[in-house]
Amino acid sequence: MAHSQNSMEFPVNINTTQITTAYGHRALPKLKEELQSEDLQTRQKALMALCDLMHDPECIYKAMSIGCMENLKVLLKDSNSMVRIKTTEVLYITASHSVGRYAFLEHDIVLALSFLLNDLSPVCRRNLYKAYMQLVQVPRGAQEIISKGLISPLVWKLQVEREEEFQELILDTLVLCLREDATEALSSNVVLVLKQKLLSVNENIRSKAAHALLNVSISREGKKQVCKFDVIPILVHLLKDPVEHVKSNAAGALMFATVITEGKYAALEAQAISPLLELLHSPMTVARLNATKALTMLAEAPEGRKVLQVHVPTFRAMEVESHEKPQVAEALQRAARIAVSVIEFKP
Amino acid sequence: MRYGNIMYDRRVIRGNTYALQTGPLLGQPDSLELQRQREAKKRALARKQAQEQLRPQTPEPVEGRKHVDVQTELYLEEIADRIIEVDMECQTDAFLDRPPTPLFIPAKTGKDVATQILEGELFDFDLEVKPVLEVLVGKIIEQSLLEVMEEEELANLRASQREYEELRNSERAEVQRLEEQERRHREEKERRKKQQWEIVHKHNETSQKIAARAFAQRYLADLLPSVFGSLRDSGYFYDPIERDIEIGFLPWLMNEVEKTMEYSMVGRTVLDMLIREVVEKRLYMYEHKEETHRSPEPEDEPGGPGAVTESLEASEFPEQSMSQTQGLVLDGDYVQRTTYDRRSSQERKFMEETELLEQDEESAMGKSLEEEELS
Repeated sequence: MAHSQNSMEFPVNINTTQITTAYGHRALPKLKEELQSEDLQTRQKALMALCDLMHDPECIYKAMSIGCMENLKVLLKDSNSMVRIKTTEVLYITASHSVGRYAFLEHDIVLALSFLLNDLSPVCRRNLYKAYMQLVQVPRGAQEIISKGLISPLVWKLQVEREEEFQELILDTLVLCLREDATEALSSNVVLVLKQKLLSVNENIRSKAAHALLNVSISREGKKQVCKFDVIPILVHLLKDPVEHVKSNAAGALMFATVITEGKYAALEAQAISPLLELLHSPMTVARLNATKALTMLAEAPEGRKVLQVHVPTFRAMEVESHEKPQVAEALQRAARIAVSVIEFKP
Repeated sequence: MRYGNIMYDRRVIRGNTYALQTGPLLGQPDSLELQRQREAKKRALARKQAQEQLRPQTPEPVEGRKHVDVQTELYLEEIADRIIEVDMECQTDAFLDRPPTPLFIPAKTGKDVATQILEGELFDFDLEVKPVLEVLVGKIIEQSLLEVMEEEELANLRASQREYEELRNSERAEVQRLEEQERRHREEKERRKKQQWEIVHKHNETSQKIAARAFAQRYLADLLPSVFGSLRDSGYFYDPIERDIEIGFLPWLMNEVEKTMEYSMVGRTVLDMLIREVVEKRLYMYEHKEETHRSPEPEDEPGGPGAVTESLEASEFPEQSMSQTQGLVLDGDYVQRTTYDRRSSQERKFMEETELLEQDEESAMGKSLEEEELS
């Protein structure tokens, strides 16, 4: 029977895995103290509570302002793997928000996280990769990762990791980092690693690897390396892949790689023209755009021009097409027009 | 329970309350405690009395007066004499365990009344729970919708970013292609220009070389003969035989000539000595004989030089000894003329000197010769 009096006992803890959070604005300071406690259980429970709280950006801001990040950094080096897992999860959730990314950059968390790249627990590593992936969604984050020199370890990890999910996450991170600055990656043989991944069974990995190669070959050095390591025949092979986005990314990579003369001739030797022409009829707009551009590059070489002169009508048809989004339509038309002009160029 | 008059209730204290002793209350069974309490009270009382004595009291009455206690309250009280007190003590056995007091449960009074809430009488759960549930579920769904919309928004943003990136990539590719083209053209131009420049340069160089060569040839054509001429002039081209003669033969010749000259000098000196001796002798003889003869001198003069020349001739052949000199002294003009022809200009000058030297001795010699002829 219920008593009319208040019980002297503490209220019942419904969720024993989590610590009870204080009410209102006392929650975070109290959690911060508990994070520093000596007792392992307390720390773990506090981390779980923190995980839940971090979904709210205002909480993240508050946590930052009271200095929770430093505690989290310390906890990253904890000996207990559960603590580390949870800490990385908290950091991953933090990184999904812009405030959290700002916190990452302010408190130098990227470096602290990088020590866990070789962690034994796979869950911990997964969270780590996810955190990085979220971080590089903004250019500043990508620059941070590059400036801390994490590209070479990530490339190395790409080779070493067995889990495909991890590879995908790392590839995602690399794709966005390579867009910013490819020089460091090139010096760590990223092209070779990506070449291997192009032949992987998993379609996501293939597609992401092709995307990464696309970003690599934007820079001149990248183009040269792509030609040097004979990646172009593989890319041409990928053009016949059953999956659409793999094809489109492969076409994009070819588009950039064929800007230099070696690339052009390598692509022509690998019979790239026919798959690219097929790709022009693909349902994905980006695939068509990339294919058009790649064919434009190839048409600059005399041999390519000869072959493509037959297909000028296809391009002319593309010129007058319309698309729902005006920019895309305009882009397609422009690309087609340029292609035609290049093919019909007489010196 | 019997209801009584409060006035006659034994429990109610009546009368003077000042002098009454506060006995042990009914609920106090412990005798020891009671004793202790009493003692404590006594002690307190004693302490109070002691303090009272110390406390300043009212001063003693003045002469002829007496202090009297007077009640000054509104309602006077009868102060009776001291009441007869008797101390009574009662004590239970100290070590006897007393059983616990039975729980005092007051007798049940009143009427028992009961009430029961049947299903559906108070409220209809289903009806009532609906709004609560609605609120709960509504809030949850709202929250989740918000989250989902956020994610969707993010996904949309990302998708549009991707699209933009694709467009940008294609534009970038175009830019790079144009750049590349530009670069190629430029390089081609540079190469051609360079080639052209090289050709022109070579052309210039060749023409310069030809001009230089022609000029050099013309210049040097003159050079050779002039060089040879100057060399010849400086005597670098010599006839070896001539050279040889000049270097080898002529010094030797000169040496020999010198030697010969020396010999002739020596001979001449000797001859001079001889002649001098002879002349001195003859002079001496002549001086002795002067008194006797005076012969014509000028006739001897042609013979004199002749004789002198003969003597000289004799000196030419130094191998021929002094005896020959003497013999040849007497030779005729014929010999004298041949010797004249044979002499070089150098000898001639020398001989002219000796001639002059011996002119003095001529006369003496001629005379002596004459004397000899005559004798």
